[in-house]
Amino acid sequence: MSSRTLMSALRGAFLISALAAVLFPLTWVTLASFKTPQQLNDPSLIVFQPSLINWSYVFEAGILQAAGRSAFVAGITVLISAIVGSAAAYVISTYKAGGSATRFGILAAQVLPPAVLVFPFLTLAYVLRVNDTLIPLIFAHLSFVLPVVTWFLIGFFDSVPRSLEEQARVDGFTRFKAFLLVVLPQVYPGLGAAVIFGFTLSWNDMFYGLILTPSKSAILPVAIAGFNTFRGVELGSMSAAILVAVVPVVIASFFIQKRLVQGISGGAVKY
Amino acid sequence: MGTVGLKSVQKSFGDTTIVEQLDLDFPDGSFTVLVGPSGCGKSTTLRMIAGLESVSGGTITINGKDVTHLEPRDRNIAMVFQNYALYPHLTVLENIAFPLRATKIPREAARQRAQEIADSLGLGHLTHRKPKELSGGQQQRVAIGRAIIREPAVFLFDEPLSNLDAKLRVETRSELLAIQRRLGVTSIYVTHDQEEAMTLSDRMVVMREGKIAQVGTPSEVYSSPTNVFVATFVGSPKMNILPGVLEDSTFTIESGHSWSLPHAHAGSVFVGLRPEDLLLVPDDRGHAVIEQIELLGPRAVVALSLSGVKLVSVVEAAELASLAVGKAVTVTFRPESTHLFDGDTEERVPTQVLQREG
Amino acid sequence: MLLPLLAVSGVAVGLPLAYAFYLSLTNFSLTQQGPAGFVGVDNYQGSLTNEGLWSAIGTTATYVVIAVTLETILGLLIALSLQKQKWARDITRSMLLAPMFITPIAVGLTFRFLLNDQLGAIPYLLDGVGISYDFLGTGNALLTLALIDVWQWTPFMVLLLLAGLESIPKQPMEAARVDGAGALYIFRRITLPLLVPILSVAILLRSLDALKVFEYVYATTRGGPGTETETIQYFTYQTGIQFFRLGEASSMAFILLAIVLPLIIILFRRLDRAK
Repeated sequence: MSSRTLMSALRGAFLISALAAVLFPLTWVTLASFKTPQQLNDPSLIVFQPSLINWSYVFEAGILQAAGRSAFVAGITVLISAIVGSAAAYVISTYKAGGSATRFGILAAQVLPPAVLVFPFLTLAYVLRVNDTLIPLIFAHLSFVLPVVTWFLIGFFDSVPRSLEEQARVDGFTRFKAFLLVVLPQVYPGLGAAVIFGFTLSWNDMFYGLILTPSKSAILPVAIAGFNTFRGVELGSMSAAILVAVVPVVIASFFIQKRLVQGISGGAVKY
Repeated sequence: MGTVGLKSVQKSFGDTTIVEQLDLDFPDGSFTVLVGPSGCGKSTTLRMIAGLESVSGGTITINGKDVTHLEPRDRNIAMVFQNYALYPHLTVLENIAFPLRATKIPREAARQRAQEIADSLGLGHLTHRKPKELSGGQQQRVAIGRAIIREPAVFLFDEPLSNLDAKLRVETRSELLAIQRRLGVTSIYVTHDQEEAMTLSDRMVVMREGKIAQVGTPSEVYSSPTNVFVATFVGSPKMNILPGVLEDSTFTIESGHSWSLPHAHAGSVFVGLRPEDLLLVPDDRGHAVIEQIELLGPRAVVALSLSGVKLVSVVEAAELASLAVGKAVTVTFRPESTHLFDGDTEERVPTQVLQREG
Repeated sequence: MLLPLLAVSGVAVGLPLAYAFYLSLTNFSLTQQGPAGFVGVDNYQGSLTNEGLWSAIGTTATYVVIAVTLETILGLLIALSLQKQKWARDITRSMLLAPMFITPIAVGLTFRFLLNDQLGAIPYLLDGVGISYDFLGTGNALLTLALIDVWQWTPFMVLLLLAGLESIPKQPMEAARVDGAGALYIFRRITLPLLVPILSVAILLRSLDALKVFEYVYATTRGGPGTETETIQYFTYQTGIQFFRLGEASSMAFILLAIVLPLIIILFRRLDRAK
């Protein structure tokens, strides 16, 4: 018995330390966002008079617009991905359309290093005179979000029994109607998770954003990087900007954790 | 009206043929059961009739119309799957009413009809529940309700009772039969359970390896199986099959034991005897030994060994008084109750018991 | 129904890929005025003999090995502990998984300042126990970046490993316990082998992702000190964006792709097998 309680205590202590390790930097950033430049010079300051000076600064500097642009790009990317992806995932899962080659392509597109695709996007953007706008960025984000969403959904369509679709066809519906009315509703939870995850991936991207839209239409992560200096005065604003980027996504992440594993592994593992 | 006709229907995948040149007619209002071991092609045949499986050759007609290449929705059929395939995201009422959404029937009228059907199946009080809140038997009835609402020409059942426990299976069986009789819709039912086939069908189609082994009423198939396969497949406990030689009205098996069997046929044969036709006579010098007795209430199953040949007999419980494990018995039978099969083809040899001479 | 996917992917991935390949065969530079001149495999030759590129590959490899190893071990320990946890399960898991959803640049910048010797909390705390450590200085920088990776991505491993642990059948372990086996034995001989499929998938996925590291470098060391933290993606970025040599940069990207492709194939096979 006592070795069990010892193990239990050790486990508890271990998890608490892990939790502390996770929360420490986040708490520090949150505190920093409310500190004045003078207060920031002292790293030991925990109890202090909070100030909103950083927050008003970042709002004035256009952080909300940057966030808006990020949301816009992510939103469009995810919308297209959801529509195209669910149709594709359905036929791939049910009819094995496209064979292994397609599935491999989808996997490869997800894990492809962005360095490979970014230069053509940049060049084409210049050529078409859309550089530093959001258009090439949407395409760039589609290049990895669409495969991720499709891959996710293949896993979820795999767990819908084939007989549901067959029943609907016997009951009088075309294959497409059967898909729309019967099969698709079964994956709504998975679709939700895929959409949130895809949104997060797009929202978090900095590499494409930095290269394709560095200034005029900078998206949020790029804007945050813009606060990157050694001067303490920017540290507070940077912290505020970071929170603007981080808080919505972390909250959204709470809703999708149950389905995340099934999606990432393409259905190989369920949680 | 719902006649179904299969002409030379075949299903192959590359070099493998799953269903071979099937010719079968289903009269209007009949309840036909396709039965056979797994892999015999019965489900594939059903799915071809439904249109879920493409046909490699031959034609399928429903009410005289060629439906071979039609989509399932154009065939005017209804199907109940093994796992009932109830739509998890819809309520019971919506499930039953669902097929009518593909028609022009207005929503309200459809719901009303669905409610009537639900009531008739004893589900009236469950209409707002979701499938996962129902018991297995209730789910089954929802599936049936959904099949009924379209008033199809043919009902197709793909092993719908396999997921139920034994007792429920028996109850639901009779319910199903009652519904079919009431509605009079032609039904084609697939199962691997021969007992189910026997009790439900007015016509049985025993299938094996993609071909029909025998077609007939349950009593025909039971009392006159056309070959060894059907003979051993139908009936529980299985029919005893004794390989041996029939010559001069004497049947001799390998171990040397012989019985008188007046019959004109001569040559190597299989003699089939249903357990209830295998008679045991307690005899201290008997040639068989009782190995096991299983009491089943009014009857008992007795397993014996006749010089190494395993036999099964079914006796009335009353006879058990004189039988016990380890006791010796003599095995005998009435010649009229034997089933004779050719030793090579395993086909039935017509029984002609010779008149006793003299 | 597959067509839209193919169409969109064609535009979003296929075309750029093809164009990137074309670029890699030219001496295109963003600053030049005329059309790109075709130089065939010169870029590839140049890149393959470019010491900077090989150094970057080596740096990235070291980074990936350190980070992923630590993440796997730590992730496994956390997953095992979470599995047995009884109180406040969901909230603990949610909180522990949070880091992987944060935009990496934010993580990089946060740690840059957390580790800053004047403004950061960590050097301050270490000072309190008498330790002085130059996190981003010579010899330490790559390790520090790897540790940042560990902070952010261990939750990913935890997520996958936890799912793996919860999906392996319990009977073999119960049977072993009845037979008197100790916890460590059960883990080594039963749990771990059953975990191998998901473990290998997790390691491959994480490694493929880790070698794309860019944001941490951009946020902290910009490749320094010297070229110590010049990872492949950062090196390619510099060649293409800071020096504008797009053709050359493209060839480097394709060399990277060639290295990565076998890993993707292995991952693909493993995922199929896990199903």
